[in-house]
Amino acid sequence: MGDLIVFLVLISLGYGFGKWNEASHYKSIDRREKRLVYLPTTNSRKPLGENGTVQRAYLVSGSVVISVDYFKRILAGLRNLFGGSVRSYETLVDRARREAILRMKESCPKAKQIINLRVETSSIYKGRKNQIGSVEVLAYGTAIEYERG
Amino acid sequence: MFTTNTEEIPGKTITRCFGVVSGSTVRAKHAGRDLMASLKNIFGGELKGYTELLCESRDEAIERMKSQAKQMGANAIVNVRFSTSSVAAGAAEIYVYGTAVAAE
Amino acid sequence: MKEAKFQGILPTHNDNVSHDHPLKEFTTLLLGAVGLILLAYWLLGFAVDGAVAHISPETEEQLFAKFDLPLADKLVDDPEDQARLQHLTDQLRPFVSVAYPVKVLIFKSSMANAFALPGGYMAISTEMLAKVKSENGLAFVIAHELAHFHNRDHLRGMGRGIVMTALAAAVTGPNSSLSRLLAPTSQFGQAQYSQARESLADQTAITALNGYYGHVGGVDEFFTQMIGMPEHPVLQPFASHPQLKRRIERLEQLRVKNGWQVKAVTPY
Repeated sequence: MGDLIVFLVLISLGYGFGKWNEASHYKSIDRREKRLVYLPTTNSRKPLGENGTVQRAYLVSGSVVISVDYFKRILAGLRNLFGGSVRSYETLVDRARREAILRMKESCPKAKQIINLRVETSSIYKGRKNQIGSVEVLAYGTAIEYERG
Repeated sequence: MFTTNTEEIPGKTITRCFGVVSGSTVRAKHAGRDLMASLKNIFGGELKGYTELLCESRDEAIERMKSQAKQMGANAIVNVRFSTSSVAAGAAEIYVYGTAVAAE
Repeated sequence: MKEAKFQGILPTHNDNVSHDHPLKEFTTLLLGAVGLILLAYWLLGFAVDGAVAHISPETEEQLFAKFDLPLADKLVDDPEDQARLQHLTDQLRPFVSVAYPVKVLIFKSSMANAFALPGGYMAISTEMLAKVKSENGLAFVIAHELAHFHNRDHLRGMGRGIVMTALAAAVTGPNSSLSRLLAPTSQFGQAQYSQARESLADQTAITALNGYYGHVGGVDEFFTQMIGMPEHPVLQPFASHPQLKRRIERLEQLRVKNGWQVKAVTPY
């Protein structure tokens, strides 16, 4: 009986806090994306447009590790029985990606554009039994600054 | 909406660029496919079930990316790249990203 | 690409996530998983019945000879009482069509109980012997357990108990409280099944008693004694025995249907 109560408490905590976390994170992401939409980011090898001589070109990156909550884990476990898309993880990965790209953009306030964007995703496990799953996303690219005038 | 993994679209000029678009799906296999996979672990050979599963996931991810590009007003996606990773036990995540452009 | 003009636009809606409520998905999947488990249990129940049909009493005795008896630590060594019970059991055996020997054991317990155990053992508690005043009442209890042996119920129950434990262990892990709860005896999962078997055993027992004594006086003595004990109304469907009142009613219906007589009982 004790096991069941612990399980239910963990699931409700996971669901409650997870939902709240997700909502506030998405709000923050939306806000920052609107602010940074002016910064061209492409994954082409050559810069866009002819804005003058290049002053600096340097590697920029942004990364984030977001953890899975208990509710998402249980849902994923149940999904494994029946197959199909694991919807609980989709929001997790989406948030992580957008956050990583935003952090990369925020790390170079003087840049005029970012080219050759690449995104790497990996998951961090603790081990088979005690799976503390988390998703790590790294976004990196080359930031370009032009000379004034 | 056409997609390429080159810088430029052969035979067309890119007039406008809208930035990076992406599509992702997370799919889990089900217990039946798992069973077949364990058997194949003994005999070897192609895991058709898994191949199908990942193929479907990739198609769906590409569809999502295209719909995102369409929302922005693009009609082509260049420099498409794929990335697969496992984010949960038994579930694989497919991520597709590219640059949305308007080409003529 | 050099000539392209940049236009910063954000997508209006996020296509990379589903907008269904996660709780809805959770309930659907959970119900599906529970349904699968119940289906597996039901199907395996048939396999158990099939297997039990092939285990003869001789095979059973050989199989369980090496096992430690459950309740082994509570056994009471009372040769006189044991001899009387054994004698009564041996007398009743032909009336329940049990052709092989059944050994009677007495165990210490504050609850009045009797069990049919795999291996051909019948265990009766000290409290049961204290509660039942007449030989007829005791004979009913013995005949009821003998009926379980005849119907191979003790093996069915054990088999289903093993299936239930295996399923619980597969889902929650072998060390979870659920698996440990289900391990020792067959618990509420198979109650409805057991209730039908218990009624069948009651029926066989009362018929046997009529055959042995010539009348059915005293058969519900044990039940009427127990009627004073509190029963849990909510958990009743999950109890392995049907409600006491219902058992008494069914016995009475059988008595009337068959026109059996009630005469004076023999004290024990």
